[in-house]
This record gives sequence, C-alpha cells and structure tokens, in this order.
Amino acid sequence: MRKRTLTLPNGKVVTEQRSKVPLICAILLVFIIVAMRVTHFSFRTLATNGHQFFVILGAMFPPHLDFLNRVWQPLFDTIKMSFLGSLLGALVAVPLAVLSATNIVKSKLLSGFFKLLLSIMRTLPTIVMALIATFIFGLGTMAGTLAIFIFTVSYVGKLTYEQIESLDMGTFEALESLGLTRLQAFRYGIVPQILPTYLSTSLFSFEGNLRYAAILGYVGAGGLGIILNEQLGWRDYGNVGMILTVLIVTVGLIELISQTARQKLQ
Amino acid sequence: MIKFENVSKIYPNGHVGLKNVDLQIEQGEFVAIIGLSGAGKSTLLRCVNKMHDISSGKLTVNGVDVTQLKGKEIRRFRSKIGMIFQSFNLITRTTVLGNVLVSLVPELSWWRRLLGVYPATAKIAGLKALDNVGILDKAYTRVDQLSGGQQQRVALARTLVGDPDIILADEPVAALDPVTAKIVMDDFQRINREMNISILLNIHHVDLAVAYADRIVGIRQGEIVFDGPTSAVTQEIIDEIYQGHGSSSIKGSAEPVAAEVVVDA
Amino acid sequence: MSEMIELKLNEQPSKKRQYLLLGGIILAMLLWSLTAITFSAPDDGGAKIAGNIIKGILSPDMQLLWNFTSQGVFYLLFETICIAFLGTIFGAILSIPFAFLMAPSVVPKPVYLITRFLVVVIRTIPSLVYGLMFVRVSGPGPFAGVLTMSLTSIGMVSKLYVDVIEDIDRGILEAMDAMGCTTFEKIRFGIIPQLIANFSSITIYRFDMNLRDATILGLVGAGGIGSPLIFAMNSYRWHQVGSILIGLVILILIVEAISNKLRAKLVNG
Repeated sequence: MRKRTLTLPNGKVVTEQRSKVPLICAILLVFIIVAMRVTHFSFRTLATNGHQFFVILGAMFPPHLDFLNRVWQPLFDTIKMSFLGSLLGALVAVPLAVLSATNIVKSKLLSGFFKLLLSIMRTLPTIVMALIATFIFGLGTMAGTLAIFIFTVSYVGKLTYEQIESLDMGTFEALESLGLTRLQAFRYGIVPQILPTYLSTSLFSFEGNLRYAAILGYVGAGGLGIILNEQLGWRDYGNVGMILTVLIVTVGLIELISQTARQKLQ
Repeated sequence: MIKFENVSKIYPNGHVGLKNVDLQIEQGEFVAIIGLSGAGKSTLLRCVNKMHDISSGKLTVNGVDVTQLKGKEIRRFRSKIGMIFQSFNLITRTTVLGNVLVSLVPELSWWRRLLGVYPATAKIAGLKALDNVGILDKAYTRVDQLSGGQQQRVALARTLVGDPDIILADEPVAALDPVTAKIVMDDFQRINREMNISILLNIHHVDLAVAYADRIVGIRQGEIVFDGPTSAVTQEIIDEIYQGHGSSSIKGSAEPVAAEVVVDA
Repeated sequence: MSEMIELKLNEQPSKKRQYLLLGGIILAMLLWSLTAITFSAPDDGGAKIAGNIIKGILSPDMQLLWNFTSQGVFYLLFETICIAFLGTIFGAILSIPFAFLMAPSVVPKPVYLITRFLVVVIRTIPSLVYGLMFVRVSGPGPFAGVLTMSLTSIGMVSKLYVDVIEDIDRGILEAMDAMGCTTFEKIRFGIIPQLIANFSSITIYRFDMNLRDATILGLVGAGGIGSPLIFAMNSYRWHQVGSILIGLVILILIVEAISNKLRAKLVNG
C-alpha cells in the first residue's frame, strides 16, 4: 500500500500508518457475497417463507405429556453415555497431555507426535466417529460412549497440555534438586498446580458432551437422538417438544450443578 | 477567568461537597488544590466544567454563567476545557493518535463521526499535540503498550488538541512513580507558561504542588481554608489544611471547623 | 513431638469425609453408566469391519480428492467454509443484541435472567432439529445450513460477548463527557473500539467450531461436506470416506492455525 506522509507545522514529517480496517471490511464483504452465492442465500426466501420455522416451533407446544414415559430410558442412556465417555476420556487425557507437553517430554518428536494425534482426534467430527463406531460395535450406547470418549480425550488433553506448558517449571526443578525422581517431582510439583483447571475442564466437557450425546442417537449411537429422529420422521412435533423440554431441563440442571462445582474449584 | 461566588454543593445524599466557596482564578494561572481525600477537591474541579451541578451561588467561566448552560451548550462549553484523570481514562485498545483525535470528534461532520475517518488537518493537529508532549514517535502504537507516564502524556495531548483555555487535572500523578510524576508535572508547567493555559490541579503530594504551582488553594471539608501564592505556604498552613487546627494566617472562615475531621477512606 | 506441633497437626482440616462422599457418588454413577457398554456387533464381527474401515480410510479415493467439479472434495469443502462463514457472521450479528440484554450492567435483573434462560434454550436444542425446521423454510441445501449455524452460534457467542461487555472500562466515558461528546459519540468512539477486538476474536473462534460442526448438517440435508460423507459411510465406500476425511482434517487444522494467529494478534495488538 502507498505510504502517505503528514508534515507538521514545525517541519517534522510523520509517515502515516493507514488503518487496515477498510481493507479487512472489503475482503469480508467480497467473501460474504461469494458465500451467499455459493449457499444460495436469499433474504427474499427468508422473508416470504420464514414463518414456516415458527409453524413447526408452534406445533411443539404444548408438548405431549403422555410421551414422557418413553423419554426416560433414552434420557438415562444419554446421561450414561456422556458421563462414562467424559470420565474415561478425562482419565486417558492425562497421560496423553503429559506426553504432549514440551516442558516435560524433552523429545520434540515425541511431544509433537502426541500433539498431532490429539489435534487429529479433535478434528474428526464426533458424529463421524459415532457412525463408524456403530459399524464396529453395533447400534446402541456403546458407539455413542466411544465417540464421546474420543472427543473428551482430545479436548481435555489439549487444554491440559496447554496448561502444563504454561506452568512455572521452577517448582519442578526445585523438587528434583531435593532428590525427588521425575515422577515424584511431577506428583508434588505439577499436579497440585494443574488439578483445579483439569477438573474444571473435565466438568465443562461433560456439560458440552451431554448436549452432543443428544444428537448422536441420530446415527444410531443411542440416547435421546434415536427417539428424536423417530418422532421428527413421523412429524409428531408434540412429542418432539416433550423430548426437547426434558433435554433442556436436564442440561439446565446439570449445568447448574457443574457450574457451582467449577466456581468452587477456582 | 474562573469565578466562584459563594458557591455551595450539596450531594443528594446530604453530603456537603462545597461550602460558600469564593475563588477567582485569572487566565494563565497554575493553581494547585490540596487537601485530604474527600475534602472537596474533585468536586471543586468538576463544578468548573459542569460535570457536577452546583447547589447555590454563582460560577462563571470566561464570562459564561455555568449554571445556565443546557444540553448542547454544555458540550460546546466543555470542549474548551480539558480534563485529565488519575486513571488516564484512555481507550487502551486504540492507537495513541486515535485517542488524541477523539477530542476533535464533536467538530467532525456526521459521516466522519459515523465512520471514524479524520481529515488530514485533524491528524496534523493531533500529531502536533503529541510532539508537544514529546511522544510523537509513539503515534501509531497501541496505548496498552505504553508506560503509565506515557499514557498520562497521551491524555495531556488529548486535551491540548482541543485548544483549551483551561485544563482541569484530577490527581494526574497519583498513579505514577515519583520520577515519572516529575516529568508529567514539567509538561504541565511548560504548557502553562508557553500556551498561557490556566491549570487547576488536584494533588496529594504537597511538595510537588509547592514546587510547580504559582498559587495554592487549601480545602478542608468543602471550605477553602487557604488561598495564596506558593511562597506564602508554611508548614503551619499545611498542618492547618490537613489537620484542622492551628495558625491564624488563614483566609476565609477563621473559626475552627467542627472538631472531628471526616476523612473518606 | 512438642505439644504445639501436635496441636497444629490435629488442626489440619480433614476433608476425608468430603472426598469419600464425592468418590462414592462418582463410583455409583460409573457403575450405573457401565450398563451403557453393550456389545451387539454384527455377525461377521466388528474387528473385521474395523479392519476394512481403516484400510479404506488409509487408501483414499484420489480421484474424488483431486476432483474440482461440484462433486469433488474441494468444492464441497469450499461450500462448507461458506456455510460456516455466513452462519458465523450472521450468528455474531444476532448475538450482539442478545449479549447486551444478558449483561447485568446494561439491563435490569428480570431482563437479563429471561434473556439468559432464552439463550440456554436456544443453545440446548440440537442443531439437527433446527436443520429440519429450516429445511422447511428454504428447502434442502446449504441455505438451510447457514440459517441453522446462525442460530446455533448465538448460544456460545453471546455468552462470551457478555464477559467483554462487563469488562468495559468506564473511565473513558467520563473523559468523553468532559470533552463534550454526545451519547452517540461516546458509543462510537468510547465503547465500540473497546469491544471490537474481543468480539472479532470470539467470532473467529466460533468460526473454527462451526467449520467442525458443519458436518452434522449433512444429516438433515442442510448442505456442506457432511451429506456426501455420511452417504459414503452408509454405503460402505471407505475409500471415499478416507478422501473426504483427509480433506476435512487438513482444512480444519489449517484454519485453526490461522485463526490462532489472528486471535493472538487481535488481543495483544
């Protein structure tokens, strides 16, 4: 870009640094227009047809209360899947996080390998993992648990190794100098520092997983998604409304508990 | 010229901010206002540009009756009075020049105000003000990367660019270390002398006040208990301002004010 | 041991019971959850299928990968980026009013509690349900995907925006008052500059997530790379699955690296 200069009355010359904002706005605008073309986005359709969205939403109310009996079992399945997946995932994430942390593992190759592994695991969409798992383990909660497990390992693993890498290693060295082994130094120097964040991350991931687990049934991986898919297919929106109400209340309650716990950890 | 005539300020909660203040400050004076926290220093300053309304009395600034100003008139009036704060009050995520130019915003056309595009004349005025306080080289640096002293000088440049007649400074050096505080006070003194801008400055450090100001106003519990040239300030007077008992060389209400001195913690 | 030391030793707070209780609850939940593990593998054995899948994914369909028509991986990825991008932009814009209505420093308590509840509801309804609802509005295709992403982005984005709003430095507003600025000028020059960097950073972060989540949309015919991916999986064409997944993983890794750089720059200047 062309540089402009400003001359002050006393003769000093300042090279003006132009703001990049107009350029960024222009690029964004171009990309928005391109993306609108590609996705066939049209405000007109939205204006003329938008009310259809509320037709279905309206049909969900009032929810069919008598459907409640059929919601419990899938709901429990969803909670089980997300709890088990999160718990096991959070546990397995620890060694992987330690192996990925450059300040603990001296070999760049080794830590880089585990970092890449965690990255790729995180990148694979959970729904794809769940679908693959149903082919291997059959339809049901096992597949969902596995998908959630893999996502939790990658998520908690990444945040934990970032936490470990940001630690002050002085304590670790001090303990090593006292004659502790590396493992002992880790236990007494590192663990107390990362434990609160680690537990908090795990709880947070459990909250998110609960939401995710509700979808996984859609590919046959157990839980609320199965009946959600079924009732949506039959266009029985009153029942869908019931399922969503139960889901919202459950997620709300668990979030409340988990948030209180996380605040205490901090 | 700033003229307080029997001005009082009572807050809605009943706290008396100012009590029967008579004060006249000529154009180009450098006045330091000293006193305990909560004595009314900030109130006095903020009445001048109508950030606070006075309850009774008359306050005129350059012949304008401040109490009569309304809406747009207040804003136009304020743009000729610069103000400096203890906590700098800058937009930390914007460049130094961006902060300085905010001062000129009320004068821009509507579309410039909407888009935030400044004309070259404004930019030159902003750079000139930065040059004046010696931080021209930082013009395009983001404010959060500057030291406290540099930030206060950005704030000073921000007031200068509006070409003010008066600068009100509310504890401008309280957040700075002693060395930086001296540098900033030097800037105030230079601006006062070279540009003939009146400076009213609230300050905790009596030694700095005495070293830089031409005139000292001592305030205690909303009343002016001392007003005179810096050369007339003695230890007794300072004790009187800060403790509330003592000598006779006090202008204003001579009778001792209530026994207990209320100090806002 | 001296008495003093012994006294201090006994003073050590005993959290034994708390830990035991917590451990008990977790253990009970774990045992209860273990019933979720069931093996109902098809007759020919999961291991064999797993072998096929891995073999297929590791030998991707190169023809599909390097296909530049509208059926190829590149175009599908591009379409996915467009869906995620537009969805993020619209979601970010929609989040602004929500965020202000959720900020305790802006609105009274009843308003922000109601808005917060509303946002929890919006966030909890699975994206699939939105997808199906929007397919009714726009017909199947990427347009429905954009609408879905716009709505699902609101939950997290508005929540993070609120923190930024609550962190605004009000000193500058006082200074601008003293300069004689109007309310509009105070918002335009005092508040927006404070918000814009963090808002952008949050929006970029959400774009990252949306790109990842866009696969789900394929399930309900809302466009993007999800539908061919799931279609290929359901028809056991693992070579195709392999090429699509490779494209997706690489794209997400690149976008993540760029977005981390951008965000660091936005926040630290």
